[in-house]
Amino acid sequence: MTVSAPVVPPTERWSIDQSCRQVILLWYGSSVFWLLFGSLLALVTSIKMHTPGFLADTAWLTFGRVRPAHLNTMIYGWASMSGIGTMLWLFARLCKTRLVWREGLYLTAIYWNLLVAAGTIAILAGYSTGVEWMEFPAWAAGPIAFAFFVIHIAAWKMLANRRKGHLYISLWYLFGCTMWFPFLYLGATILIQTPASTGIAKMATNWWFAHNVLGLWLTPIGLASVYYFIPKVIGRPIHSYHFSLLGFWTLAIFYNWAGTHHLIGGPLPAWVVTVGIVGSLMMFIPVTTVAINHHMTMVGHFHVLKTSPTLRFIVFGAMSYTAVSVQGSLQSIRAWNEVTHFTHYTIAHAHLGVYAFFTMVAFGSMYYVMPRLVECEWPSANLIKVHFWGTAIGMSMYWIGLTWAGVEQGLAMNNPDVPFLEIVEYTIPYLWSRSVAGTLMTIGHIAFAISVWQMLRRHGATSTEPTLFTSPTRLFRFRKPPEVVT
Amino acid sequence: MSAILAIWIFMIMLGLTSIGALVWAIQMGQFRSIEAGAESIFDADEPVGSVTDRFPASSRSNNTSDNNKVGNQ
Repeated sequence: MTVSAPVVPPTERWSIDQSCRQVILLWYGSSVFWLLFGSLLALVTSIKMHTPGFLADTAWLTFGRVRPAHLNTMIYGWASMSGIGTMLWLFARLCKTRLVWREGLYLTAIYWNLLVAAGTIAILAGYSTGVEWMEFPAWAAGPIAFAFFVIHIAAWKMLANRRKGHLYISLWYLFGCTMWFPFLYLGATILIQTPASTGIAKMATNWWFAHNVLGLWLTPIGLASVYYFIPKVIGRPIHSYHFSLLGFWTLAIFYNWAGTHHLIGGPLPAWVVTVGIVGSLMMFIPVTTVAINHHMTMVGHFHVLKTSPTLRFIVFGAMSYTAVSVQGSLQSIRAWNEVTHFTHYTIAHAHLGVYAFFTMVAFGSMYYVMPRLVECEWPSANLIKVHFWGTAIGMSMYWIGLTWAGVEQGLAMNNPDVPFLEIVEYTIPYLWSRSVAGTLMTIGHIAFAISVWQMLRRHGATSTEPTLFTSPTRLFRFRKPPEVVT
Repeated sequence: MSAILAIWIFMIMLGLTSIGALVWAIQMGQFRSIEAGAESIFDADEPVGSVTDRFPASSRSNNTSDNNKVGNQ
C-alpha cells in the first residue's frame, strides 16, 4: 500500500469488514439454511391448498402445523437472521468501528438457531400457541426477547464507539428498530402469553405486534439497507437527505398505530380500528418520501442494473416497498377491506411485503457484503441470474395470481347467492399457480444456497492480495483483524 | 392488571426514548448541514462516482478494473 495519506486509509474499511467476518457469516449461513427449510414447508403448505390429501396422514405434516412452521422459520430464521447480519455489518461500517462483542454475537447466533429449531419442532409437534406470528410456545418468548436485547446492547456499544459524528440515515433506521423491537416483543409477549389479556384484547395485541414485526423490525432494516446500498453501488449520494430524515421520523411516529386495521369488521370499538386506519393512511408520507428519494437517486443510473447483482435485488425490493405500502394503506380502507379480508388477497399482500420487499433487499445486501467478508468473488454469474429471475418471476406470478383470486373470491363471498363450495373450486387454478410460483422461488433459493456454499468454500476468484489468505478454517476462528496499515 | 400496568410503563418508556433521541439529535447538530450527511458513506478510495458492485468475471464487462475491485484492499 503506497497511498499517500488519504483522508481515510484504504485499509480501514477492509479492517472493519474483516472484524465482522466470522460473526456475520454465521448469521448469514444460518439464515440461508432457514430459507431453504422454510421454502420446503411453504411448498408443502401450498400443495395442500389444492391437493388436500397430500401428506395428510402424518399429524406433524398437517396444514395447521406446517403453515405456522413456515411463517416462523421464515420470520425468525431467515428474515431476522439475515437482517441482523446486514444490520451488524452496517453498524460497523457506518460507525467506522470494529464489530463489538464478536464472541458474544457469534454465540448469540448459535443460541438463536437453537431457539428457532426448538420452536419449529414444537410447532410441528402440535404445541403452537395459535396466535399468529407468535406461534412459538410461551417458553421460547423470554429467551428470544433476551437475544433481541443482546443485539440492542451491541448496537448501542457500536454507536457509542463510533468514529463519525454524523449519523447516516441508515443508522437511524437500524438503531430505531433495535430499540423498538425488544420493547414490542416483550410487551406483546407479556400480554399474549399470560392471562393478562383474553378475547378481543388479545387479538388487538396480536395484530398490533404482528404488524409491527414488519413495520418496526423488518422494514427499518430493509430501508436502512436500501439507503446504504443504492447510493454506495452507483456512487451517488441520496437525492434528498431532507426527505430521508422526514421519512424516518414519520415512519417512527405512524407505523406503530397501523396494526388494528387487521381487525376491520371485528367486534372491537370502532375507534380502535379507526385509529389503525388513520395510522395506515398517514404512512403515505414516509412511503412517498422514500419512493421519490430512491427513484430520483437512481435516475440516470438504471444501466447499472445490468451489471450489478446487488442493485438488481435492491431496486426490485425498493419498488416493491412502494407497491406494498400503497396497497396496504388502501387495503385498510373499510370499503375495500370488506372485499379483501379473509381472502387470498391478504396472503399476496403479506408476501409482497416480506418477500418482494424485505427478502429481495436482504438478497441484494448479502450479494454486496459476503464478497467483502470472504474476500473472493461470487462463484458464478449464472447462478446469480437464476436466483434473480427465479425469485423475481416467481414472486410476480405469486402476487398476480393470488391478488386476482382474492378479489374475485372476496366479491363472491359478499354475494349470498353464490354457494361457498363454488368459490373454493374457483380458486383452485390460482392455488396451483401459487405452487408453481413457489417452485420457481425455491429454485432461485437453491441457486443462492449453492452460491453461498461455494463462496464459503472459496470457489470464487480471489479478489485481493493473496497474502491475506490463510486456511479456510479462518472462517471459524477468531483472530484479531490486522491493524490498519497506512 | 399488573401486566397492563407493565405494558403502560414499557410503552411510555419507549415513547420517551424516541423523544429523547430526537432532542439529542437536534442538540448534537445532526440536522445542521443536512445534505452534507448524504456523502458520509463515501471514502477517499471509494469516492462519489465509483460503481462498487458488478457481476463476477463477466468477460464482456467493459468497466475499468479500478471500479471492479470488490473493494477490500
